[in-house]
This record gives sequence, structure tokens and C-alpha cells, in this order.
Amino acid sequence: MVKEIIENIKGAFADYIIGIEVNKNKVYIEVEKKCLRPLVKLIKTNKQIHYVTSVGVDERPLRGGFRVYHIFTSIEEDYSIIIHTSTPQSHLTIPSIVPVTPGANWAEREIQDLLGLKFTGHPDPRKLILPDDWPPNIYPLRKDTPYNIRPPSKPTLYPFKRPRETSTLPIGPYHPLLHEPEYFELYVKGEEVVDVEYRGFHVHRGIEKLGESKLTYNQIPFIAERICGICGFTHSTCYCQAVEEAIGIDVPERARYIRSILLELERIHSHLLWIGVACHLLGFDTGFMHAWRIREPVMQLCEILTGNRKTYGANLVGGVRWDIKEKGVKKTLNVLSKIEDEFKRFIEDLMSIREVKLRLTNTGVLTKKDALKMEVVGPVLRASGVKYDVRKAHPYAAYKEVSFNVPVYSEGDNMARLIVRIDEVLESINIIRELIDKLPKGPIITEEIEIPGNRKGLSMTEAPRGENLHFIITGRDGFIYRWKVRAPTYANIPALKIMLKGCPLSDAPITIASIDPCFSCTDRVKVIDIKTKKTITVPLMRISRGKIW
Amino acid sequence: MVKRLRLISTAKRVGVVTRPYPFRPTEVPEEFRGKPIIDGEKCTGCGSCRNVCTPNAIEIEDDLEKGVRRVKIFYGRCIFCGRCSDICPEEAIKLTKEFELASKTREDLYQVIELKMVKCKICGKPFTTERSLKKTLKSVPEELHEQLYICPDCREKSTAYIESYTKRR
Repeated sequence: MVKEIIENIKGAFADYIIGIEVNKNKVYIEVEKKCLRPLVKLIKTNKQIHYVTSVGVDERPLRGGFRVYHIFTSIEEDYSIIIHTSTPQSHLTIPSIVPVTPGANWAEREIQDLLGLKFTGHPDPRKLILPDDWPPNIYPLRKDTPYNIRPPSKPTLYPFKRPRETSTLPIGPYHPLLHEPEYFELYVKGEEVVDVEYRGFHVHRGIEKLGESKLTYNQIPFIAERICGICGFTHSTCYCQAVEEAIGIDVPERARYIRSILLELERIHSHLLWIGVACHLLGFDTGFMHAWRIREPVMQLCEILTGNRKTYGANLVGGVRWDIKEKGVKKTLNVLSKIEDEFKRFIEDLMSIREVKLRLTNTGVLTKKDALKMEVVGPVLRASGVKYDVRKAHPYAAYKEVSFNVPVYSEGDNMARLIVRIDEVLESINIIRELIDKLPKGPIITEEIEIPGNRKGLSMTEAPRGENLHFIITGRDGFIYRWKVRAPTYANIPALKIMLKGCPLSDAPITIASIDPCFSCTDRVKVIDIKTKKTITVPLMRISRGKIW
Repeated sequence: MVKRLRLISTAKRVGVVTRPYPFRPTEVPEEFRGKPIIDGEKCTGCGSCRNVCTPNAIEIEDDLEKGVRRVKIFYGRCIFCGRCSDICPEEAIKLTKEFELASKTREDLYQVIELKMVKCKICGKPFTTERSLKKTLKSVPEELHEQLYICPDCREKSTAYIESYTKRR
């Protein structure tokens, strides 16, 4: 299949291809920027190709100009195609691929904000990442911008596209239930949501810049795992795998197994956390308490296995730092059988509540067509009937050596997303049992690593929220020249626009939460009466229970 | 309606799971990584831990007036990864099980170690710690010991002088 696509590309765009480079299952094709849009259109005609993200690189210190990588991957076979093109500093424009790949909308706007490239033909070139008061012409990811820059504030108003004859309901920028600030503007007619605008990145921490300028390659795993407060281990694993691929080293078998075990434990506690939060949002606090009660032993198990409840500090390039000892194996099996039993009972309890079923069924529907168009990932995609799991399609760590099912449901509503996650918890329990059973002996880390410069590495993992991507280019003296992270929620948020359209206001909170987003703190809704200019503040909890005034 | 009564039986079966912390102390497993402590009797002030520390929690500064090197660890920045203890050649850093670090003053969050420094025989500037020098003396033949009491700057100058002198001749 990959050969066929490359032959097609070669046939149609022979004059525009500058070079083709193959690294295992990754095919890097360098092209002239002129042919970018028709080429991407050709690639996208293949149904199994999924667009992941775009990476902008400031290459001026290396060979002049800027480069953009568009990363595509197959949802069935284990290969990825990376199309890259460069542009000199005198012409900072690149044709946009959004007209042929709607999923690239955010990625291109991000490059525009952080590197100052312009994408011609982009349908919506508004700011995305940078705050409203960020001054123009300062581009944080350019190599001549210092990592600790604090530019003067220059307040501007964000141009929200508000539809006419609707009321505006802001949700955020603080959220009491999820863990990061975000800002949704819901446009409502009566009780029905007509349109949504999203403004996020209030907590954009510049982690990529910090990793590129201040930290050495083996310090980055410790900041990579802090990208997410729940699924941190998947980020450090993904980063380490990208570096390992770039420099071509093999990770000991035992280390790969340990990584998989910890990744699955993370999936279990992450899904249990989400199920709890979903219950809480529905006003079913008993469910929330019970889901978190079942989750707690998993956290304590992680503490025994890695010395930290969140598995922090366990990964390094080349392997893992802590071995799983005999005592850990026993404890793991104990905890697994306990939570399996408790979880099954809990799901029966949960499904016996009529209101839970009614609130979730047929709300926040995302059809298969829309899911593919918006390039959503993870449980959201699988609940819309697409069978794509990175663990199956692009096996990493020890996933090749275990057998497991990928739960897929075609309804595309909030209920399907709940059931996918429930099935995945049970599936993960079995995966860990199998891994522990097969756990090979041997070393857990490859020592003595050298980092040659200018190597590219790309790794994807299946985080609890979906496909997670890390892309690195190595630099001099053990530093990383470019480190790009694309977390799963980044791909899922744009799809909320479709899910929320036409849904009643009271279903909005659970639908927003149904993608299991990573957001935070005390949120409330401000209702502004336009006639009297009076402002009333309503907590989200009341809206989620259907009471607004 | 009857179905949801299941929850009552679940609640009865499970009982109370909340732990009475902080009214009663809680236990952490053996593997737990808490507050790192530097052993002032072993540390040579080499700076390996500072180089490997991701969040810059460890700082090393030389007080030339008093002739001491200070190794400071700030728990406000520490992420308890334990890389410092992995890397320490003297095994001077141990991670304890202590995790209740909240404090009203910033000073409580520091551990500071002072190490006596050796003065250079030529310029008189303190340049390394006594303990580190003692360690190097053990691994170097005796005829070179004299050289080790000279700071790197002066050593460079003297070799440069010798080189230029030999060249001239």
C-alpha cells in the first residue's frame, strides 16, 4: 500500500520531488512548495490515510529558511508519510493544505503564531496559541527569540465570529471539573446551541521551547511527562521512542514490557477518572465517588512500582529506571483482580440508573463522516465507528507481543464514548495480565548513548485520550534542535463544534467532557442581560443540571 | 426505582474508604521518593547533581571571602525524580520518605551545605573543596601533588608561559 501511494506521488509529481528518505516505516518526501496542495489532495484520496499534524521548524541556523512537515499516517498499516517543504526567509508564505485537509486548521495556525509563516488560502487565519495581548512580530519558536522573553503587553480584542440573533454564553476560562483553563463561547437560541467558538491555550507553557533551548536530551522526559496531569507516562514514552528511533538504538525487551504495563495502568486510572467526572457532570455524585474509590488502588500500585503515584520519573532515553520486582508482580495481580471485580459491579450499578442512560444516549453525536473529516482520535474516533488504535496500527513498546481487542461502536454519541472507555478498562486489565505473564528477564536500560546531530525521529503512542505524537530533530552536544508535541485533545477539540451544534444547552457540559479533554479550575458562566446590562454568575454545576436562572 | 437501591447495598458492602489523614499519619511504600537529603560528610561539591537536575533545584556557589562552597537544594523546585541520587559519585544524596514539606517560610525549603575550600598556592584564590582535592590526591602519583594545589587558571598561565618560553628558545 505504501509503495502504491509513493509510486502514485512519484508519477504525478516527479518534477517537484526534491528527495525521498526512508527510515524504517517512515517515508520523508521533500517537495517544492508549489505542489503541496495537489499532492496532499492526492494522498488524502486514500481512505486509510489520516492526517496527524504539521510541524514548523526554524532552519535558519542550519541551512537557511523555514521548513514545514505535514505528517500523515495509515490507520491500518504500520507506516507514516511525511511531506516536507521549505521556504526562504524572504518569502514567508506556504500554500495552506486546509482546503483539502480540514484537520490541519489548528496546526497551520499554530505555526503561523509561533514561527510567523503565512499560509495562503487558509480559511480562518486568526490567532490560536498566543494570548490576545501578545505583540505582533515576536515569534516565540524562532531560534533568535530567547526562551525567557517577556514582551510588553499590547491588548487587542479577539475577533469572535458571533452568529446573528443568538445569545452568547461564555463557558470558562476556568472549569471546576476538568484540569486546565479553556474558553468556550456557546451561541444559543433559546435552549439550543447554534454555534460554538473556542479560545484555549491559556496555559500554553512553552514546554517545546524550553526543551529546545535549556534542557539536554535526557532531561526532557521529566518535563514531557508533565505535559499532562493524568496521562504523563505516555508523553515521556513517546518522546523517548522518538529519540530512540532517531539515533537507532534498541531498547531492552524487559524495558519495553515495563513501559507497556505502566501505560496500561495509566489508561485504567485515566478512564476511571473520566467516568467519575462524567458522573459528576450528570449530577450523579455517588458514581463519581465510586469510580474514584476503584481508581485509588491503581494509583497506590503505581507508587509501589515506580515510587510515584503518577509514574513520574520512570522513563529515560534507552529504557526505564525502575524494575518490577517479585513483590511488585504479586501486588499488581492482586490489585487487578480486585479492581476488575469492583469495576464490573460498578458498571452494573451505573447502568441501572435510568437517567444516566437517558442523558448520554443520542446526545453530542459525531458521525463517522465528520469524525474522519475532523481527524479526531482515540475513544472519540472509535465511538464513531472507525477502528483506529495506535497500539494495533503502529505497535510500539510490547504491544506486538500481546493480543487484545479494540472496542468500536458506531453510534457516535456520549453513550458510545462511555462504553468504549468501559471496554478499554477491561481490555487493559487483560493486557497487563498477559504482559506480566510473559515478562522477560534482562536489563532494563541501554547505557552509553550518543546523540548524533540532525537526525529525525517520529513516534506515536495511544494515550488514554487518543493518538499522541512526538517529533524530534536532534541538535549538537546532546541537545534537541526541535521537539514537537501533539497531544490527543488538540485533535479532538475542533470536533466539539460539530457535536455541540443543535444540542440542548443542558447537554453541553457532558458533551464537552465526553472527549475527555485536559482543562481546569473554578468555572462559571456569566449571563449578561443586554437590556439592563446586569451580569449574573451561574456555576456550571447548575447548568449541567438544567437550571440556568 | 427498585434497581437503584443496588447502590445502597454497594455502599454497605464497601464501607468507609476515606483515610483519616492528616489526623492520623499515613504510610508510604518503601519505594516512595520524597525529600532528597545531602550528606554533608560525604559531599565533595563536584556539581554532578546540579548538572543533571532538570528543574534547577540544586545550586552551587563559591563564597570566595569565607573560602567555602555552598551546595544548596531548594525543595520548592524539586520534582523528586532522584536523578541526583543516581548520579552522585559519592552516594551522598538519599531520597527520604518525607513528603510533608509545606512551610510558612521559604528558608525551610532549603538544605544548604558548606564545604571548606582550598586556596591556590600562587594567586591565593579558593578554587576547589578540601574533600574533592583529597580524593584527587589519592588517584594521582605523589610527584604531581604539588601541581594540584594550583588553581586551573594559574596552571594554564604557567603552562602557557613554559610553552612560549620553549618556543622562543
